[in-house]
Amino acid sequence: MRIACVFVPQLALQAVLRRTPDARGVPVAVLEAPPLPNPPPAGGGRGSESNGGRGSESGGRGSDKARGRRVARVVEFSPEARREGVRAGMTGAQAAAVCAGLRLLTVTAADREAAAAALADVGYAFAPRIERAGERIFFETEDLARLYPAGETAIAQAVQAAAARVGLGVRVAIAASKGVARLATRAREIALVPTAAGPARAALASIPVETLAEDDAALAAAFRRWGLRTAGDVAALPIDAVGLRLGPTGARAGRLARGEDDEPFVPRLPDDALEEAIELDYPVAELEPFSFVLRGLVDRALGRLRERSLACAGVTLRLALDPRGVDVRTVPIAAPTGDAATLLQLARLDLARRPPAAPIVGVRLLALPARVRATQLDMLRPAGPAPDRLAATIARLAALVGPDNVGAPAIEETWREEAVGVVPLTLTLSPLRGERGSEQARLTIRRRRPPEEIEMLIDREGLAAFRGRETTARVLVAAGPYRLSGEWWKEEHGFSRTYWDVHASDGAVYRVHQDGRDGRWYLDGYYD
Amino acid sequence: MSSRPALDPALLSHLVTAQRLEERRGRRGSGIPALDRLLGGGWPRAALCELTGRRSSGRTAILYAALARALAAGEAAALVDVGGGLDPRYALAAGVALSRLLWVRCAADLAAKAADLVLGAGGFDLIALDLGDERPRLPAAGWIRFKHGAEKQGTTLLVAAPARAAGSCAAAVVELSPGAPRFVADGAPLFAGVQARAVRGRGAHEHAGPESEEARCASLAFSCRS
Repeated sequence: MRIACVFVPQLALQAVLRRTPDARGVPVAVLEAPPLPNPPPAGGGRGSESNGGRGSESGGRGSDKARGRRVARVVEFSPEARREGVRAGMTGAQAAAVCAGLRLLTVTAADREAAAAALADVGYAFAPRIERAGERIFFETEDLARLYPAGETAIAQAVQAAAARVGLGVRVAIAASKGVARLATRAREIALVPTAAGPARAALASIPVETLAEDDAALAAAFRRWGLRTAGDVAALPIDAVGLRLGPTGARAGRLARGEDDEPFVPRLPDDALEEAIELDYPVAELEPFSFVLRGLVDRALGRLRERSLACAGVTLRLALDPRGVDVRTVPIAAPTGDAATLLQLARLDLARRPPAAPIVGVRLLALPARVRATQLDMLRPAGPAPDRLAATIARLAALVGPDNVGAPAIEETWREEAVGVVPLTLTLSPLRGERGSEQARLTIRRRRPPEEIEMLIDREGLAAFRGRETTARVLVAAGPYRLSGEWWKEEHGFSRTYWDVHASDGAVYRVHQDGRDGRWYLDGYYD
Repeated sequence: MSSRPALDPALLSHLVTAQRLEERRGRRGSGIPALDRLLGGGWPRAALCELTGRRSSGRTAILYAALARALAAGEAAALVDVGGGLDPRYALAAGVALSRLLWVRCAADLAAKAADLVLGAGGFDLIALDLGDERPRLPAAGWIRFKHGAEKQGTTLLVAAPARAAGSCAAAVVELSPGAPRFVADGAPLFAGVQARAVRGRGAHEHAGPESEEARCASLAFSCRS
């Protein structure tokens, strides 16, 4: 078995850079406050971006000691910030003092969750099952050999490219076991560890003991005391003797250094829905600025869906309101789409139609994945529109004219002449009919919906003239009456009508009716 | 003595004349043999076409006949319907496969945008833009966009409106004028159909030289009941 480990170094930094892409390439430090022993008050702990020491120890009164401990400190920083002297553990003010132009960003739980979920989607782009472990994912790569005949380097490069598309820079290692792959990601950007024990041991030999100890400072110090510098030095020692002196962790490090590992690999299928979230620094009450926030979420969600070759079939927005309250809404989507502009437009329309009751301080976007329908082309038929483009077009049309006005027309189960239904369009294959057409085409009616009320003049001979909103004409010939009634079993919806086909003086033939209940006249449309 | 310079045959073979362009495009049956004869084989493919006429001139019937013909041939078709005047029972009777027709009902001001979206999706062989009683209010640039879009996507964009608007962007134009409706008298009069006169404004064999008035006109019969 060959297992790939994909590792996101500096997950917190990369998580905030995903939602703040303009901060890439400039000095950035990520602040994080240590967790409180008790839950924070409502509204506390929010904020996505700050500028130099906000929320620092300069607060003044209160339990100063406790607040001092709660100061947000730099946990991660970009290479540009490192060059300027920013170090982990500094407060925001200290970091800003050593680095002019430093951007201080606060990482939230939502950022971390979204980045970890995006990393998982990268894994699902390559394997049906993956194992998630914080800033790492693991998946099997043996099935990818046919897709990437160039070898494991090509697989690793493809994984890095996929991760870059969702805004993550990753390290990839492929090895015979999970632990060895994890260890190898700590050492190199791309690491390929052979399966055989001898070559695997040689590949890992240059890894420093600090990396081998995997954040266990005591173990690394013990190796140093023994004069060991690299994994190769550790691998040369008998494992039983190392285990006797350093316990199970030492024995495990010794086995890892030899390329031996028995850590179980437990992959899982993906969750159905996909989530992106952001917590805002201040409440947003206007639709326009909120659209910018939403745009980022939609882009990131669709980017992740694309990695899994999926489209979005539904969007649920969970809006956190200020000062409290939640507004949950489902945005209707006519057809699965991967078009960000369409989804954004639909969400905007929904928000404009039903504005939230209070300003928004956080948003969680839940995207329902759907597979775009694959169709088998017919050699004898025209290709027709591509399913994904058609779906995106239908969604955009729905956003433009309303979801109820796009689809395939359908006949309603009623005798009301003006009734019409709209059902989802299905471009199914039907038997081809090579009709040449009839010399006499079938006349149709162009309906007015709802029927337009008109004023009808009646003389001794019958219908004489009518006047409507746009049409005033004398009646030259009137064919009828045709009586129609129904739905009398419904208290308010029953109808009783007398229809006429009238040839009017403007040259057109109209369909009109008189309502039997109140005697009013209506124009149903004209034959055309 | 002719003063026309002789073209290099090699260069001539690369020139695409209007006639050759039309041959490449081909034509689609309109579903009405008399109209096919008038148009020289049907509506041109990959082109913007116009169909104009007053109320009860058979304009909608011609649209449905073209949609029915396209859907029967397994093609993808869409109807952008200003005001939503489509009657599904009559459309079905005209042979339109309702479940495979993309129907977009909209207000007049959104019709051009909706048609442009459908055209941009690609893959639709026929898009009918039925403006109903609304006069087209699209700037010239809009018609040029439609023309190029139809050519690029290989779509016949058939615009039905009370009056012409696309000008030289339309590859074929048929103007309809309603005749007297037919009523059959069996006791009380019963509406039977209309007769309309179709005049081809543009669209067939224009490169072949002048033609008679009769060749540009046709009489079309529309029946109300089968």
